[in-house]
Amino acid sequence: MEGQTRVEFRDTLANLEERGLDGLNLVITALDRVVESIQSSDIELAQIVVANDDVIDGRYLEVHQAILTLLATQAPVATDLRLIAALLHIMKNIERMGDQCVNIAKMIPLAGNDPPKDQRMVDNLTTMGEQVRSLITQARKAFHDRDVEAARDLVRQDDIVDNLNKECFRIALEVGDDPDMREWAMTMMLVSRAIERIGDNAVDIGEQVAFIVTGLFREFEDASHPGEDVNDIPG
Amino acid sequence: MNPKTDELDVTIDPENAERGGTSPPDARGFRPPAATAAPASTPGPAGNEVGRVELKDLSAFYGSNHAVRGIDVTFEPNRVTAIIGPSGCGKSTMVRCVNRMHEEIPGARSEGQILLDGIDLKGPRVDVVAVRRAVGMVFQKPNPFPTMSVYDNVAAGLKLTGAPRKTIEAKVEDALKGAGLWDEVSDRLDSPGMGLSGGQQQRLCIARALAVDPEVLLMDEPCSSLDPIATLRIEELISQLKERVTIAIVTHNMQQAARVADTTAFMLNGDLVEVASTDKIFTNPDDERTEQYVSGKFG
Repeated sequence: MEGQTRVEFRDTLANLEERGLDGLNLVITALDRVVESIQSSDIELAQIVVANDDVIDGRYLEVHQAILTLLATQAPVATDLRLIAALLHIMKNIERMGDQCVNIAKMIPLAGNDPPKDQRMVDNLTTMGEQVRSLITQARKAFHDRDVEAARDLVRQDDIVDNLNKECFRIALEVGDDPDMREWAMTMMLVSRAIERIGDNAVDIGEQVAFIVTGLFREFEDASHPGEDVNDIPG
Repeated sequence: MNPKTDELDVTIDPENAERGGTSPPDARGFRPPAATAAPASTPGPAGNEVGRVELKDLSAFYGSNHAVRGIDVTFEPNRVTAIIGPSGCGKSTMVRCVNRMHEEIPGARSEGQILLDGIDLKGPRVDVVAVRRAVGMVFQKPNPFPTMSVYDNVAAGLKLTGAPRKTIEAKVEDALKGAGLWDEVSDRLDSPGMGLSGGQQQRLCIARALAVDPEVLLMDEPCSSLDPIATLRIEELISQLKERVTIAIVTHNMQQAARVADTTAFMLNGDLVEVASTDKIFTNPDDERTEQYVSGKFG
């Protein structure tokens, strides 16, 4: 009964998943670079992030096309079908995460070559970057391991990011009256917002883990009903 | 009504009739041909609940080989139920029990109940000919009567009932239309049935089964000897026919089950592993063995 059937299909699907999840490594690289360019006002490094987003977009297209081929030629069903649907979904998340890194990278030149800086703000953004990096790593591992508990834990991790995002807002309010400093702080609030969105995409990936495992799609945390416990996915 | 008809009619044992409640047994059982002459071409209104097949603890044996192992499953009216499973899992045997063909094989027997609208088809006083009129069957290989014309192939069953010629003509046309074949053969009804293409022959066999107004149509791999286009035509036909008969289809082609069936039953080694909506079976089955089979990981 345990036959070695559809070996090629299974290998192809496994490779596809690996290629897709590796897209998250590309996002981590981009995120590390934008955080570094904030710390050191490195416009060149930010420009590299913008240019390298083509690699993430290319990965999205590559996996997307391969999924279409699998759907057309292999008629996947059951868990295979759910994995493929989830991969389609998370590739879009990965592509969006890359775009948010580009958004951040494009804001860095706006602040100028040697802008006035508030160290608390920079530290806060650095912590956010580290926290989101950890979210992405956890989402990738949860997907790979089909670990629903680790996926759900992303919500808790993301709350930390949300609080850091609010902290950026408070710091911006307190930077003083210098117009240049205020402009920089406003720009950094947009950066903070973009990093926070990357975290949200990581939580979305976690929701897809639950879908693959249980066959049910529920948002872990429903933005339109904040505070409600929606972590009651059976199974 | 001619006497021959009465002879073919199902007799119901008094016990069943009593349990059946108010309606007279002949109204719930297999409709005698005379009674169906009028409503034949007018399918019942929505919610027509005629043709429910319930298998209860059904077992089938070939000598000492226990091929079907106590399964419970219902074929709902106006629904297509697909039975899938690897070769030798008992799926064909199971459907052949329903029209009592299984017992024709020497040494073969079955146990348990097969109810059609509450009537036990294996009851002692049930006429097997009436069962086969109520439960039609289409086989893997198209098998028109080799010496008969297209018309006679469809009319054969009707002629046995002694129905008037006019009635037979109307029913042949209705059956050929029902099988989606009328437009292709209406100008050559007298030519041999064997002269049709494979796909047309299979639809001729479906027309032959429909002509006697069955309540249930069993299809055992009806497309396995047809090309893809003929297969798709049969599949479309199945979707239309479920308005008028209950359909159970045995298939090796899982995509065919996914396309045509409302409900899918998965069998393995004589057991019914899982039965659920086709949607569920192919997106999120409960049983690991179903998952493995529909994903093509064995079988």
